[in-house]
Amino acid sequence: MDDLGFILLSYIAALGGAAALVWQVLRRGRALGAELPDEDKPWI
Amino acid sequence: MASSSASGSTATNSSTTGRTRGAGTGTTFTRWLGIVTIALMAAVVLFGLVLSPADVVQGESVRILYVHVGTVWVAYLAFIVTAVSSGAYLWRRTHSLTWDRIAGASAEIGVLFMAVTLLTGSLWGRLSWGTFWVWDARVTTTAFLFITYVGYLAVRGLGGSHEQRARRSAVVALLAVIEIPLVHFSVKLWRSVHQDASVAGRTTDVTLDGLMLFTLVLATVAFTLLYVWYVLHRQRVMAMEDALDDKGLDLALAERRREAQDATSTTGEVTN
Repeated sequence: MDDLGFILLSYIAALGGAAALVWQVLRRGRALGAELPDEDKPWI
Repeated sequence: MASSSASGSTATNSSTTGRTRGAGTGTTFTRWLGIVTIALMAAVVLFGLVLSPADVVQGESVRILYVHVGTVWVAYLAFIVTAVSSGAYLWRRTHSLTWDRIAGASAEIGVLFMAVTLLTGSLWGRLSWGTFWVWDARVTTTAFLFITYVGYLAVRGLGGSHEQRARRSAVVALLAVIEIPLVHFSVKLWRSVHQDASVAGRTTDVTLDGLMLFTLVLATVAFTLLYVWYVLHRQRVMAMEDALDDKGLDLALAERRREAQDATSTTGEVTN
């Protein structure tokens, strides 16, 4: 299967990119959540 | 004077914000949505790489297309949502910044997935066409769309008030979305090596293996759920960033007023 490297790279790029974005938004959300009172978070 | 104002600002900041630890952007709904999305992504990897068969013509490289189609679908969806939310911001009399935040969050994930689309398309092109890149109508217009939305995000990053950011980025979003039909119909408008729609095309005579079609739909659903999860969290993060920004501005204004009053009273004492 000569195409394996290209195929794996596609999946790593898609899932890795998504995971990085998810991790970044969760980290930022936790950091800001600790700075603000609950009245500034209407979703709670 | 400078050191006293800085320490005063810090003291006021920590006393007025009333810190509540541990409350981020998650809710019960988004947690469940996240779990379902992770499970579906794992299924996409399993079906895409292992269980689905190789294509008769394309061979194993067809596995790239499950990711390619899923991400381009989400990118289109994201850019359309950005335009609709921007339109809602400009049209609604309330000018709610929530619409602007949804537009911005949607564009961010759209840009990421458009980048993945270009990368996966390039890898697939190397295996199928023998080259990573061709100046083909579909490929070129897609790259142009990607650059346009990178520009949109840059416009969002310019200075100014939240309302200024919302207004100018909304105008850019409404102009940028015009490119989507151009990209979509580029394969019909110009001679293109990129194939037309295989599954949703009206005139298509392509028949997909059941497991291949299932994997394609599974990937599309999984990436769509990921998009919904991201937009929900990101627009909440943006709301908190704006709230913190407003608090900082209020504190700075109060500080300046106090300094001005101090200066006035000192001048008055000297005059007397």
